[in-house]
Amino acid sequence: MAIPERDQGYFDQPATRKKLWLLLWGFCALTVVLELFIEREPHFPQENFFGFYALLGFLACSGCILVAKGLALFLKARTDYYDDADDQ
Amino acid sequence: MTTLTINNLPPGLILLLGALLVPLFRGRLRNWFVILLPALAFWQVSCLNEAAVLSLPFLDFELNVLRADVWSRAFGYIFTLNAFAAFLYGSYQKKSTEFVAALLYIGSALMVVFAGDLITIYLFWEAMAVTSVYLVLASKTTKALAAARRYILVHVVGGLVLLAGLVLLIHDTGSIAFAAFAREGATPATWLILIGFLINAAAVPFSSWLPDAYPESTVLGGVILSAYTSKTAVYTLVRGFPGWEILIVIGCAMTLYGIIYALLENDMRRILAYSIINQVGFMVVGVGIGTPLALAGTVAHAFCHIIYKALLWMSAGAVLYRTGRSKCTELGGLYNTMPWTLILGGIGALAISSVPLTSGFTSKTIIIAAAANQHLFWAWLILEIASAGVFLHAGIKFPYFVFFAKDSGLRPAEAPKSMLAGMGLLAFLCLSLGMFPERLYDILPNSELVKAAMPYTFSDIYLHHFGHVVTQSQMLIFSGLVFFLFLPLLKRTDTISLDFDWFYRKGGELFYHFMDSILNRINRWTNDTVALSFTATLSRYVNDGPARLWLVVVKPLWQMSRVRIEGADGAEARLLRLFRTSAFSIGSAAIFSIGLLLMLLLL
Repeated sequence: MAIPERDQGYFDQPATRKKLWLLLWGFCALTVVLELFIEREPHFPQENFFGFYALLGFLACSGCILVAKGLALFLKARTDYYDDADDQ
Repeated sequence: MTTLTINNLPPGLILLLGALLVPLFRGRLRNWFVILLPALAFWQVSCLNEAAVLSLPFLDFELNVLRADVWSRAFGYIFTLNAFAAFLYGSYQKKSTEFVAALLYIGSALMVVFAGDLITIYLFWEAMAVTSVYLVLASKTTKALAAARRYILVHVVGGLVLLAGLVLLIHDTGSIAFAAFAREGATPATWLILIGFLINAAAVPFSSWLPDAYPESTVLGGVILSAYTSKTAVYTLVRGFPGWEILIVIGCAMTLYGIIYALLENDMRRILAYSIINQVGFMVVGVGIGTPLALAGTVAHAFCHIIYKALLWMSAGAVLYRTGRSKCTELGGLYNTMPWTLILGGIGALAISSVPLTSGFTSKTIIIAAAANQHLFWAWLILEIASAGVFLHAGIKFPYFVFFAKDSGLRPAEAPKSMLAGMGLLAFLCLSLGMFPERLYDILPNSELVKAAMPYTFSDIYLHHFGHVVTQSQMLIFSGLVFFLFLPLLKRTDTISLDFDWFYRKGGELFYHFMDSILNRINRWTNDTVALSFTATLSRYVNDGPARLWLVVVKPLWQMSRVRIEGADGAEARLLRLFRTSAFSIGSAAIFSIGLLLMLLLL
């Protein structure tokens, strides 16, 4: 990046980014650890599986991204794709 | 017929009449007047109760223009509250066009919500379509003009489908009352009405009009449009089609469709438009489940959704207003100079993601609990997946690409004070409804039931049911983790995504070419054979007919007298020429006439 580090905004500095990554992983770990101590109120037996919601969040989101990526092959178009049609 | 008094004044009428007075005011006074109107309407909603009725004669029917029960009042509160915040936000405006259109649009939406009969609903349903299009047109770009044209066409079609259903229904039953339609014995009339409602709810596959038109609207227009058309449709679905199982399927499809398209999108306001469809999907599922808890959850979710979605549109609008840009590829790093817009919009982003302590957490949870109570495992699972996906696209993607991601070099000023005031009010509501939802639960239909089934005090939600807070946080934080792990895959490109509108935009063009090649080919062939060849033959035959008849008589005579018949100046050619030009000598014409007369006499 051309901008010198001291001129970068706080959130653009590599040091901050590193801290934020640690925070993110730390929070992930915290929620999983907390799960050991909570009372469960499951509606379905699947919910009793340890880390169910972590897995659900992870799989659902990566699934959505991969599906979106796959569909993008068919659905992405240049921004002027419709221009001829709309001019008529 | 009942007379109109302050006790049975429909709240929508305050906005509709107020809109007509707006041009009388100028400058700051006008903006305060516009803000005052929804406040008055809100107060009127709080004064109304079931006892207030207003009926008007129309043809052979009595229109029930005011039905102020707990359902319509809940929507009345949020419609007026949101209008108040939106006008506060929009009071930086110098022109009144958008205010008048917005007041007429919101007023019509309120009239639909408080109407007790189908004819009134239909009239104001169409009024909403017509008035809302001005909020798109007001941005005065060629793209907006084209989008507005498609928008109004879709709504005209939707309105006609609804009208066809209503006419059939009123013809069958003779009643114009708007009550729940029975799932058993559904007729074509009820299906048409359902489709008419679903088109306005932006249900798949009638969804593409929303992300097509809303992102082309003005800054204030987008904020206002995001709330009313689809939520009015949700209201009519709640009242008309509770427990129709097909809505569970449609709603689930909407939640996933919204996520996938929002992930593909580059335009920030289009991301938010797709997330409206995603959120309305939750409500449509709630209607489909149809239990009292699910319906109350739907109303609660509509209430909270309007607030945080308007807040998100406001923050996107502020960015657009200050930078003139809307594409993620052209934005980034705005946290440097627009921190308040980021913080307030961020609260909206957390609320839509149902993060604990925000309103999404206390409203969406009701619908998901209702699905679980009915043991609808797949619906429940899809709603949970969709909840995770919401965080991905609306909760992180929108703020990340606009305010962080890369330094775009843009250093716009912070949003104007009026904008921050509107956003501040809604952000406050997002948080207070998330921590103290009792006030909301009290105005819901079946409120006793909701309060029996759901925790509603701060300590109950966040201490006694801490387990739910942990599982919800766990799901969301892992969704966030996925976002940042997959960031290279999510890099924005300056592209658009093809949606259902392809069928009427490109499809329409293809249809045109298809019909052009078929119909015009038939046309050319007809021209060649009928006009050019057949008619010419017929005309020659008619022209030469008498001459040829005459030839039959005279040819033997010529042959006997050895006259030259063939050739360009032969007798035959001369005779034909004579008949074609009708250049008969006077003598021969006279002889022919006498012969004709003699023949008539003899006959």
